Amino acid sequence: MLDADVEVDRRDFTVHVAVSVAPGERLALFGPSGAGKTTLLEAIAGLVPLRHGQIILNGRVLTSTAPPVRAVPAWQRRVGLLRQDPGLFPHLSVRGNLGYAPTAVPGGSELTELADMLEIGGLLSAMPARLSGGQAHRVALGRLLLADCDALLLDEPYSGLDAALRRTLTDLVGRLVQDRRVPTIMVAHELPDAQAFADRLAVLDSGGLLQIGTPHDVVLRPASRRVAELVGYLGFVQVRSTRSGGKAGAAGAGPGHTVAGVHPDRVITGAHPERGVVLAGTVTACLPAGAGWEVGLRVGQAVVICRLPERPVAEGGQLVVTALAPPCFGPDGAELPVAAGDQSQAWPEQVSA
Amino acid sequence: MIWIALLGPVIALLMHLSRGAIVSSLTAPGALDPLLVSIESGAVTLGVLVLLGTPLAWMLARGRLPFPRVWEAGVLCSLLLPPLVIGLLLVFMVGPYTPIGQLLNDVHQSATNTFLALVIAEVYESAPYYVLGAQSAFGSVDPRLEQQAGLLGDRPRRVFRRVTLPLAAPGLAMSLAVAWARAMGAFGAVIIIAYHPFGIPLQIYTTLQETGLASALPFALVLLVVALPLPLAAYTWSARAGRRRRG
Repeated sequence: MLDADVEVDRRDFTVHVAVSVAPGERLALFGPSGAGKTTLLEAIAGLVPLRHGQIILNGRVLTSTAPPVRAVPAWQRRVGLLRQDPGLFPHLSVRGNLGYAPTAVPGGSELTELADMLEIGGLLSAMPARLSGGQAHRVALGRLLLADCDALLLDEPYSGLDAALRRTLTDLVGRLVQDRRVPTIMVAHELPDAQAFADRLAVLDSGGLLQIGTPHDVVLRPASRRVAELVGYLGFVQVRSTRSGGKAGAAGAGPGHTVAGVHPDRVITGAHPERGVVLAGTVTACLPAGAGWEVGLRVGQAVVICRLPERPVAEGGQLVVTALAPPCFGPDGAELPVAAGDQSQAWPEQVSA
Repeated sequence: MIWIALLGPVIALLMHLSRGAIVSSLTAPGALDPLLVSIESGAVTLGVLVLLGTPLAWMLARGRLPFPRVWEAGVLCSLLLPPLVIGLLLVFMVGPYTPIGQLLNDVHQSATNTFLALVIAEVYESAPYYVLGAQSAFGSVDPRLEQQAGLLGDRPRRVFRRVTLPLAAPGLAMSLAVAWARAMGAFGAVIIIAYHPFGIPLQIYTTLQETGLASALPFALVLLVVALPLPLAAYTWSARAGRRRRG
């Protein structure tokens, strides 16, 4: 079990985050550049000092700023860190790299078995300079696993690789850490990578933890408008709340104050008021996107982006779409929670321009 | 063109040497004693540089010293000062009438006209070449690799031995080889503070003064033969290490 409650001073703000990761659990940190994700990992690894806080790994206090003050040096923490640059030792062969950790046995069967599992068994005598990006990352991962770490920290480890290889490696890491019951935290730059990897997703911004939960919950029920923006909601339209009895009504969110977040992937054509907020507007742009179309739709003052499977009307034409079960946010940016059973009730209506 | 011009002195040396002159100069009684003195003093100088210069270079490269510019200026000082001036100043620093000189005198040692004086002069003339080269070699090692080694469970000393040193080794070898060549050829400070015992450079100088250019040339060849193999070997080794890393 990894428990980290860290407060680290950075030049422009303070990172203050508390997370707990169970054995075998995979937590993804997601947020914009400079949110403090890497700082959190470096604090856990013992590479940056804490201003306040405590880090406990499997009952071992690694850092504590409260008496008795403790700061276990990085080399005694048994915390593995894998960055975007795999950091292979260029003067050692693949075998030398894999067997580098004092706990690893360079000629042992565990090394060769793991190398085979990682599909680098035929490269053991190769030098790192000859490896492709994917192979180098596999070697770096194998090296960490042979180091017998009690926790794994992955800092955007696959950023430079293509999507298919990223997914393969993400799946591989996921399986291995689950088998070994190692708590793992991964910083992900792409939301799909985070969703594919993690049991839980933590959204960070400006050094603070905005929301933590299952990836599905965080994406579908963002706790605030800021979280929604970060997880891909590209349009916010004013709605007239029709909810009653729930907190939405209690919050007093009236017309012009409540906005619904529209995620481009959660939009269908046509009016389906029983499934979400119906939006009618003017098409401002229509571009091919993957196997479908990305459409800019002006709805009142807002422009929302929708990804539709079929090409809609031409630019300038009128289009009606439904944003499926969109999260709604009050004037303070906080989500207006849906009361139990509220999904069956009518969704708010779009405020006319 | 510049390459040929730089090699010009060596070519001239080889063109003006005759087999007879080499044999007669080098077979004279005691003719090779200065060579032994130079090799011994050079070896001790390298030992001092490795022992004291390596930690300084590492600390400079890793920013472990307060006011790093001041430390670097101190190292550069002996590079920028003319060797003759260094020799003069060394007399004022370690000469027989200075506190250091008197301390040495108490243990029956002297830092003028002795083997110790020769080593001191050679250290002053060669140290900046080694320290600045080694600083650059350590600086070229990615600190993240050292950090990674630590995270894998290596204590700092082990990281230095297993990662920092092997990665900096080609640069260190080159720096050491250059320092060796400078120590072998040290003359300016040596002639002031360590006229005796004779090393090869002083042998060349005195032979030139006493018997002329032709007699001095064979000793110049000896100096080249002694001073150059180490840099050449270091160059070859570092090139091979680079090729090995590239796979």
